Amino acid sequence: MSSAAAIRGRTERANSRPRGASNWRRVFLLGFRRLRGYLAGPAAVALITTGAFHLHLNLSTSGSFYFLVVVMVAMTWGFWEASVTSLIAVNCLNYFFVPPVLTWRVIDPENWIALATFEITALTVSRLSARVKGQARAETRQRVQVEKLYELSRRILLLDRSRTIAPQMVALIQEIFRTESVALFDARPARLDADGPQSAALEQIARNAYLRDAASAGLDGQTWSEVLRLGSKPIGGIALRGLELDRLTVAAVASLTAIALERARSFEKESRAEAARQTEQLRTAVLDALAHAFKTPLTAIHTASSGLLEGGRLAPGDAELAGLIDEQTGHLNRLTSELLQMARLDAARIKLQRERISVLTLIEDVLARHREQLHGRRVEIADSSSGLEVYGDRELLVTALGQFLDNASKYSTPGSPIVLAAEENLGEIVVAVHNEGPPIGAADRERIFERFYRTEQTRHRAPGTGLGLSIARKAAEAHGGRTWVVSEEAHGTTFYLALPPAPKKPYDAVPRQCSDR
Amino acid sequence: MMQSRGNVLIVDDESSIRRALQNTLSGMGFEVSEASNGEEALQMVRQAEYHAVLLDINMPGIGGIRACREIRRNLPRLGILMLTVRDGEEDKVAALDAGADDYITKPFNIRELAARIRAAVRRAAVSQADPQAPIRIGNIELDPARRLVRKAGEPVHLTPKEFDLLHYLMAHAGLPVTHARLLQAVWGPEYGGELEYLRTFVRQLRKKLEDNPAAPAWLLTDSHIGYRFAEARPD
Repeated sequence: MSSAAAIRGRTERANSRPRGASNWRRVFLLGFRRLRGYLAGPAAVALITTGAFHLHLNLSTSGSFYFLVVVMVAMTWGFWEASVTSLIAVNCLNYFFVPPVLTWRVIDPENWIALATFEITALTVSRLSARVKGQARAETRQRVQVEKLYELSRRILLLDRSRTIAPQMVALIQEIFRTESVALFDARPARLDADGPQSAALEQIARNAYLRDAASAGLDGQTWSEVLRLGSKPIGGIALRGLELDRLTVAAVASLTAIALERARSFEKESRAEAARQTEQLRTAVLDALAHAFKTPLTAIHTASSGLLEGGRLAPGDAELAGLIDEQTGHLNRLTSELLQMARLDAARIKLQRERISVLTLIEDVLARHREQLHGRRVEIADSSSGLEVYGDRELLVTALGQFLDNASKYSTPGSPIVLAAEENLGEIVVAVHNEGPPIGAADRERIFERFYRTEQTRHRAPGTGLGLSIARKAAEAHGGRTWVVSEEAHGTTFYLALPPAPKKPYDAVPRQCSDR
Repeated sequence: MMQSRGNVLIVDDESSIRRALQNTLSGMGFEVSEASNGEEALQMVRQAEYHAVLLDINMPGIGGIRACREIRRNLPRLGILMLTVRDGEEDKVAALDAGADDYITKPFNIRELAARIRAAVRRAAVSQADPQAPIRIGNIELDPARRLVRKAGEPVHLTPKEFDLLHYLMAHAGLPVTHARLLQAVWGPEYGGELEYLRTFVRQLRKKLEDNPAAPAWLLTDSHIGYRFAEARPD
């Protein structure tokens, strides 16, 4: 930023000589434009005086000519130019045409009245015609500004969305309004864009408009600033410098600019969301294809091996081998499912399909899914579980709790019960799965949640993939929750899943009840 | 020579799965035919009489769910069993809505598959039976005419809706019944989304009928899909 300012400073100094010369020319032209009316009127009066005097025209005829000149000056330049012209005209009338001619004296009182009437009428008509002229000029000006604003709004729609909007906007305002300099401050990226000889000063003014949340008008009548707003919220500032500007135009340019910036931003947001959605779709498609590619051969093998066993026509050794294939296929299948689950959980921004679920329903779902595995096991659900609700992804939570249940059924003392309980504790819903059995060593209690980690005891004891508990932890973390384990010789092992509670139900969302009649 | 347990049509685009199923199922006493896509299956069910169709959900062409709907339109009594690799519940519910009797997720145990096929084949017989005939599954008896339920010979008191719910599930024993279908059958066509209330009623029924309500033996949950009343175990 500072180096950019320095470069701009150098360029301005380098350009100062030719620009200074053109400034003088401008001042001269401006002065001439202002003085034109004051010079042209008297010149015309002089011309008429010379002509009328040589032609010996009488008082009333020459008076009419003077009157015509005054009205034309009023129509062309304005009231003050016409007043000066009328004063000179009335003096010429007195000196050259009122007897005694070529003196300032007036003898006949009627001539006094004629001169006074001439002056008063000339001033009145000047005033009226100047006013009409001024109104017409203001109307033209307004029409031109409206046309320019319309042009601006139309061109905003054509801005190149692949490039930054702010500098394009500055160039557009410069082009359409023929302003001398424009500066634009976009607050959200804190970006300044400017064009024109007064860039540096205007940048400051644009930024100040935003910071002070107030528009300003320069003392020179050419510098304006305005706050860019969306609704009532300031989003930046704009400063313009130019001859043909006014408060209303600057305000309109500011609101169009604010809309252009916001429009670009929402397009950007939308396309970013679209890109994320496409990535997500692709990921899902790849994972589904992988699932299909692995599960199809597994199904064929599993069908064949279980078919061999079911037929009952195998020699004992062959049956053993078929049993091994069957068992290992099952293991490979679990591994595949868990790896796929892990891949889905690893996906940078997992999309949770959250819903309000009663903890009891969650527990029932988990038990249903592990029914085969739990066959003949005593399972208890603690009463405290009823009435609690969580707000989460059902599939993920069932998977997480399923891993706890799977763990409990594998490593517990055979015949001992598995207890599921839930309670609200310090703003969290905590679900616990408890089993009796040999405790988990202190060193392993955190590491078992790591991917592929298996303790010395479990490695040889029960089939497993080493992924289950890490999946449970990831699923909990995706919900902003956590997992941990407490394990003691005397009290057995308890796995905990803590989740933020479901947000409070709005009052009007009381669901319909099913009648019991 | 074993007596045929029924004619089964296997529809799957994967030839390895067709081969494995062909050999194992015929080894278990089924008469097995094969089709490699939905269109072929539609043709075959028109030409021959089958007791059950195993239909893969994910196939090129018209796909399993549309094939299921077409078959069901012409043959309301044919047992249809969907095969799916995905755990996607929407697919399963869509298949059941399209008229499938049941679904099974790949890879499956062949014994489990055979049991599901038998249940689907039996469905025809059950729906042809007298709807007022008493049903007995395991130690649970339900008498629709007298609106009586007994567990191991002891009468169990049920509220009217609990009775209707149990009746519907027992009449479709062995098959999954979606939440929506259950709600509409018992409470009326304007219901369908009141899952929590359905769960409350099922919980009540389990307390009254199951030995261990936490690990039900009869009134089973099909996660995300609905409920299923278990079949009597052949013992």
